[in-house]
Amino acid sequence: MPIKSYLAHPHNGKKNELIQALSAIDQCEIVAAQNKEVLVLVTETENKVEEAILKEKLETIDSLKLLAMVSGFNTPQNN
Amino acid sequence: MYTSITDRRKFIKKMAMLSAMTAAATMFPGILFAEEQEKGIPNSANLDWKKGPCRFCGVGCGILVGTENGKAVAVKGDPNSPVNKGLLCVKGYHQTMCIQSKDRLTHALVKKNGQYIKTPINEALDIVANKMKETINNHGKDSVAMYTSGQSTIPEGYVASKLMKGAIGTNNLDCNARLCMASAVAGFLTSFGADEPMGCYEDIDYADYFITWGNNMAEMHPVLFSRMLEQKSRRGAKIIDFATRTTRSSTASDKSILFEPQTDLAVANAICYEIINNGWVNTSFVKKHCNFSKGLTNMGYGLEDNYKFTDKPSTIDFEAYKKFLEDYTPEKVATYAKVSVKDIKYLAAIYGDPNKKVVSYWCMGMNQHTRGTWMNNLVYNIHLLTGKISQPGNGPFSLTGQPSACGTAREVGTFTHKLPKGVVTNEKHRRLAAKIWKVPYERIPPKPTYHATEMFRAVDRGDIKFIWTQVTNPLVSLPKTSRYRPGMEKDSCFVVVSDVFPTPTSDVADVILPASWHIEKSGLYGNSERRTQHWDKMVEGPGETTPDAWMTIEVAKRMGYGDLFPYSEENHVEEIYNEYRQFHEGAKHGMAPLEVLKKESGVIWPYVNGKSTQWRFNAKYDPACSNGEDFHFYGKPDGKAVIWQRPYEPAPEVPDATYPFWLNTGRVIEHWHTGSMTRRIPVLHKAMPSAYAEFHPEDAKALGIRNGENIKITSRRGSCTLPASINERGLPTKGQVFVPFFDENMMINDVTLDAFCPISKEPDYKKCAVKVEKA
Amino acid sequence: MKKRLGIISLFTLLFIAFIVIWNYSYKKGLEEAYIPITNEALVFEIPSEKGVFTRSEFALEYLNMPVDEAHQRSLETYYNNRAYPGAPPSIPHPLLKGERGVGGKACLQCHQNGGFVEKFNAYAPVTPHPELINCRQCHVAQKTETLFTASNFAKMNAPKVGVNNALPGSPPMMPHDIQMRENCLSCHAGPAAPKEIRVTHPERINCRQCHVPDTREFVDVEIFTRTNSLQND
Repeated sequence: MPIKSYLAHPHNGKKNELIQALSAIDQCEIVAAQNKEVLVLVTETENKVEEAILKEKLETIDSLKLLAMVSGFNTPQNN
Repeated sequence: MYTSITDRRKFIKKMAMLSAMTAAATMFPGILFAEEQEKGIPNSANLDWKKGPCRFCGVGCGILVGTENGKAVAVKGDPNSPVNKGLLCVKGYHQTMCIQSKDRLTHALVKKNGQYIKTPINEALDIVANKMKETINNHGKDSVAMYTSGQSTIPEGYVASKLMKGAIGTNNLDCNARLCMASAVAGFLTSFGADEPMGCYEDIDYADYFITWGNNMAEMHPVLFSRMLEQKSRRGAKIIDFATRTTRSSTASDKSILFEPQTDLAVANAICYEIINNGWVNTSFVKKHCNFSKGLTNMGYGLEDNYKFTDKPSTIDFEAYKKFLEDYTPEKVATYAKVSVKDIKYLAAIYGDPNKKVVSYWCMGMNQHTRGTWMNNLVYNIHLLTGKISQPGNGPFSLTGQPSACGTAREVGTFTHKLPKGVVTNEKHRRLAAKIWKVPYERIPPKPTYHATEMFRAVDRGDIKFIWTQVTNPLVSLPKTSRYRPGMEKDSCFVVVSDVFPTPTSDVADVILPASWHIEKSGLYGNSERRTQHWDKMVEGPGETTPDAWMTIEVAKRMGYGDLFPYSEENHVEEIYNEYRQFHEGAKHGMAPLEVLKKESGVIWPYVNGKSTQWRFNAKYDPACSNGEDFHFYGKPDGKAVIWQRPYEPAPEVPDATYPFWLNTGRVIEHWHTGSMTRRIPVLHKAMPSAYAEFHPEDAKALGIRNGENIKITSRRGSCTLPASINERGLPTKGQVFVPFFDENMMINDVTLDAFCPISKEPDYKKCAVKVEKA
Repeated sequence: MKKRLGIISLFTLLFIAFIVIWNYSYKKGLEEAYIPITNEALVFEIPSEKGVFTRSEFALEYLNMPVDEAHQRSLETYYNNRAYPGAPPSIPHPLLKGERGVGGKACLQCHQNGGFVEKFNAYAPVTPHPELINCRQCHVAQKTETLFTASNFAKMNAPKVGVNNALPGSPPMMPHDIQMRENCLSCHAGPAAPKEIRVTHPERINCRQCHVPDTREFVDVEIFTRTNSLQND
């Protein structure tokens, strides 16, 4: 069960669009900075396959300029 | 927030989020995650929350006031405010509790035959207007005066200035900010030609070192101090406390350095000596952006009535300045400053290290100083010599003590020499004021009259025959009240006092006007970091309480100046602010439009093209810079800041055989200003029910004083009896007594000295000589 | 001969002097001891600032520490281990270092910084005053559950949680005396903190910025009254 956290940087002025796009995805949880152009994204997926699919999904978001991973955890199943 | 270990996944998710937030904070200092912070605040009932600034100190925290059935029942920190990010101090959280105090002034009181008679507000305002007019007719314009406050809102200060200077035509307007910020103003004007700090609170997020000069921030600016502590634990930033007393701030600091009162002047010069001697001067910065000057010395201390002083600056060169500093080697200074050579060199090395970002903080310790202007200049010298100024995390920062000391007293200019833009002595500034006020230009007198201390001396002498005080309590806060209380009691002066609660000042009033409290009216404040904050009326005031601005307008109308005050009762705050904004148009001081202020938790001026200017004089941030260089000190005609040659001079009154102790006065975290509000808040009163006198344990032992025992403190001017406190809240150095001034039942200002800084005219409450005996 | 006489007379003199002095001091000793009586008004003590910021270097660790719900203390056990609120707690476990263990070599090994102790299956509470190392001057063991003789001692009610704030959502006041317990974090943060009083924000270390003592229980502080008001004359 991979849990990863990222800093998501939107393209200039597209922060709100990015928030909307990310909120629409189930596995994503976001906390947007209020005064800077950045948001914190935490993803939680069931397994590596789902993780890879999510990754591709994220890459198609137009308003996303850069996704920088900060930390990643993998908890064994059945926990 | 704690997470339970049982829900492992949630915990890991939270850890992941926290690490991302921490990473974000290192990349973007000052970043805010409001949602996350809001989660920590209990959502109490179904309250209606409205935003505003805190009523108390100059930090200017954003608050949210919860109202229910028309009553303010709760306060929380505004998570959207970049000042406090959701955190307040104990005063802030409980502020609204004072409104319901039983002795609230709800109606006008007029003194007739020694008795206060409840009077309809309209009649009381008639009496005030008639008396003012009559006094002007009989004794001239300069026989009436107004004394306002750094707690007045921007509109309140503005109409007071317009009434006195524009309508009546006298400069007899001063305010209590003279007692707290005047030296800071004079310091800024002499060094930079433009008032108010160049940096902002966000400096805290970048600095490596915080050096506090005679400033107990843990108690006086607690929210900022907590921001510093956060940087200390998260980034390893260091706090150095340079003071005359060991306090809560010293305990929390990485290093506490104590010095002998008044010798801060010498230590600051010694730091500059070290910086030059070790070759730590930022030569290119100094060459491009600084001039060297010296002024008059041996200026005196303003102890005599009608004392006058004007500085005569003259330019000097770097070599002369260097020569002057030779008297201030750490070795020489250490002998009388009681600071070790090592500590002086340590301080200098921090300032001198080009790789360390340093912010200096100070408030009353440096301002309430008979050489307050010099002291401000000297700290600017340190930052100018090293070029550590006007950059994120680098700079001198003068803190304020009142919520609108900057916004009203300094920006609107409720001082005798000031106008909303500039000074009365400048013809251009007078012409601008006359144009916006729509009054004949000749009506604004070009000469300043009385500063605060001199104003109350004039009342005592009988020169001022009518005085109106608003939003302040001078008979607790003036120095040497032992002279000014009998002075105000004299029949020669008609005293009008507007206040929310009865105070020792309202006790001597001929007319008492019932004022609305903070959230019972709309208004604007401006805090220490140039942040202008607006709030809307949240609750109805009791009885006939009226906003101070509206009372001033009503009196102006009754005196026949109605055409100059065409404001409506419902909308006067907005109308006045829009008129006032015209004074500051432009890139150097542009104020945000009201619509922006209503939406945001305050914005910083200069507000240019929809953006706050966080670091002035730095071309990267400040659009007003126009010289093509990295920095532009545009306050001065040649665009250069001034490094001042200011010597050490002793205090006017030093301990001797008869009066062997220094007396220092100040505040405690629980109480604010003269305590007229905070003492009516049960939580605060119970936590700190009365003033006390702090002693060093060795002094206490020598005098046989036990903790809690009543002690009489006497100076050449008066005496005060208080319980002794030995090594409790604070620990003064040996030979020093410290007393908080909030307690009107124990008036320490009967004892203090009314000596002031000749340049800023700000009194020194921190130093005089007293003797101590068991009561 | 002369010399001997001199010595004898010197000793005689010393002996007489001794008798006189002893007599005087004996008589003095019989007098009633005099203790000056001073009328002391009840004074409000300002809590000491000593140790306020110690342990603050662990504040961030406390913040990020997960809670071990299986091993947390409750306020009930906390107060059960004290004769009355504010009394020194007794030692509820066998002494690991024996009867003669003192301070740093014994109690402080666990109680200075806390941590999980396998033997007792519990987290060791942290002492707010690690500088006082003669621990068992105040903290004693509980070796028996029975009493020598029955007692009428009634335990004072312990301060309650959740009722100490003046306004909805405002920071609670401290409902207890803090003498010798000036360091808030030692009891209000970390895994040994009783769950009811564990602070939600241990990273904010200037505690007394928002939380002030509530003196209701100790001193009767009247509401603020103006005593020097001219209107009262």
